[in-house]
Amino acid sequence: MREERWLAWGAWGVLVLGLFGQLFPILWMVNTSLMTQLEAATGSLFPKVPQWGNYLEIWRALPFFQYLKNSLLICGLTTLFALGVAILAGYALARFRFPGAELFAGSVLLTQVIPGILFLIPIYIMYIAFQNWVREALGLEVRLVGSYTGLVLTYTAFFVPMSIWILRGFFASIPKELEEAAMVDGATPFQAFYRVILPLALPGIAATAVYIFLTAWDELLFAQILTTEATATIPVGIRNFVGNFQNRYDLVMAAATVATLPVLFLFFLVQRWLIQGLTAGAVKG
Amino acid sequence: MSAWSRFWHRYGLAYLFVGPALLGMLLVHYGPMLQGIYMGFLDLRLATLRQYLGAPFVGLENYREILFDPQSTFRTGFVYAVRTTLLYALVVNALTLSLGLLFAHVLNRPLFLRGLWRTLFLLPWVVPSYVVGLLWGFMWLKNGVINTLLVDVLHALPEKPHWLIGPLTFVAIVLPTVWRSWPFVMVTYLAALQTVPQELYEAAKVDGATPWQRFRHITWPLLRPVTAILLLYGLLGTLYSFNIVYMMFGHGAGYPGEWGDLLMTNLFRNTFGMWNFGLGAAASTLYMLLTLVLILFWYRVFREDLKAR
Repeated sequence: MREERWLAWGAWGVLVLGLFGQLFPILWMVNTSLMTQLEAATGSLFPKVPQWGNYLEIWRALPFFQYLKNSLLICGLTTLFALGVAILAGYALARFRFPGAELFAGSVLLTQVIPGILFLIPIYIMYIAFQNWVREALGLEVRLVGSYTGLVLTYTAFFVPMSIWILRGFFASIPKELEEAAMVDGATPFQAFYRVILPLALPGIAATAVYIFLTAWDELLFAQILTTEATATIPVGIRNFVGNFQNRYDLVMAAATVATLPVLFLFFLVQRWLIQGLTAGAVKG
Repeated sequence: MSAWSRFWHRYGLAYLFVGPALLGMLLVHYGPMLQGIYMGFLDLRLATLRQYLGAPFVGLENYREILFDPQSTFRTGFVYAVRTTLLYALVVNALTLSLGLLFAHVLNRPLFLRGLWRTLFLLPWVVPSYVVGLLWGFMWLKNGVINTLLVDVLHALPEKPHWLIGPLTFVAIVLPTVWRSWPFVMVTYLAALQTVPQELYEAAKVDGATPWQRFRHITWPLLRPVTAILLLYGLLGTLYSFNIVYMMFGHGAGYPGEWGDLLMTNLFRNTFGMWNFGLGAAASTLYMLLTLVLILFWYRVFREDLKAR
């Protein structure tokens, strides 16, 4: 049919255009990261000689190693804690019936409606007040603003609601009969969860872990306020560097490329499950 | 067995399981949110910061300044930010949903190497949004690559515009957001399209329905519920967008101009830059109300679709 042929050709045309639009900026980032400072600042199209040295220079020109360490540590710990909390709550929502379950589910979703700035302001002031109180009442130095503790604590709570929602979907897709069979065999409800369901849910759990890590890696609003130079994560560090060295686009793009690689790697690791877990929420409800 | 121990025996495990999450939400979400709303009624500045919730109570003074004081520079910036944010949410979501839908249809066809194309389309979605802001901020420069392509290569424009100054800033913040957001919409639509029974299309073809009629009467009604959820995600994502604008205007004072300043960047700058937390908290409360009104509106439009799920 003529109509079908048109559609087929049109599809390929749109595909090629789309691919160009989606890939060009990423290629441009890598391309620029290999230019000299002058080439990047004057809008050259290609580096005459690829400056692989830029990828060494970022560790010297800015404390990039420090930022990378901070980001890995903060996001890693956050992922671990948030995952633990969300697995339990997600499982409870998928399987248990208890008074207040609806209310709990609703309040999980409602957290997403609060603008970050509305709890960043009180959290910042609350943490300072807490530090002062601990110092005066107990004579101890506890730091929440500027320390790993404060940010990991905040992030953990921050990413729990969405993770609960994703995990709830994964748990709900596992047949109930498996636990029932285990309990007929004498397992307690907790053992049924721990021994039978948890291993089956591993792909979903891995996908959720990557989701948390990806989102934490990309968090800037809270990190900007709750970190100092010593605990700054990569986005905070790069932002400060951009403010101080306005014309080092070559280095900024090299740093941006390096900052993208870990999440890209994790994405490829669990791509299928991650997409399945995130789209299921919209497709099935 | 007492009533209490029966209750515990029956629901104890469930409450133990949701307990930590509930505690976290109370400590980091709802507790601070309530404090934040209260702080909107306080004169909370650097000087009174240590007094915490005991700072001087000023009633509706902060709200009066934000809503009615024509002298206030805070108000001027806030009003621009509300306008820009609403427009941004509208334009970004319209483009994101249309592109996502279009490409989902393209990829739903039996194409050569379909999985590879899907992954390549998705790459921008994996790039951290702060990198997106940095990268596009660099590409939009007057002698940047976008102007090179538009003017030197394609001759689409007579001269190179300043994308990061004036009303064009709006374009400069919308496109990177769309670039990063539509692939996720595409994969979601793609997953939804694959649940549509093929027999429906076969039957329609036999009846001589055109591709447009097949889309209009079979595909679209089935995609409406998914669209509702995607629009909700998109609304929250755009109304609360921060990283792209914040990184794109990283130089100097970091003011993106009235056409680039979103509510989140505006309130962040004005609260933590001017140390006026009371005013910032009041404006943030209004910000949340604005979002709630939009979500209510969204719910009214899609109520039937959500029930049908």
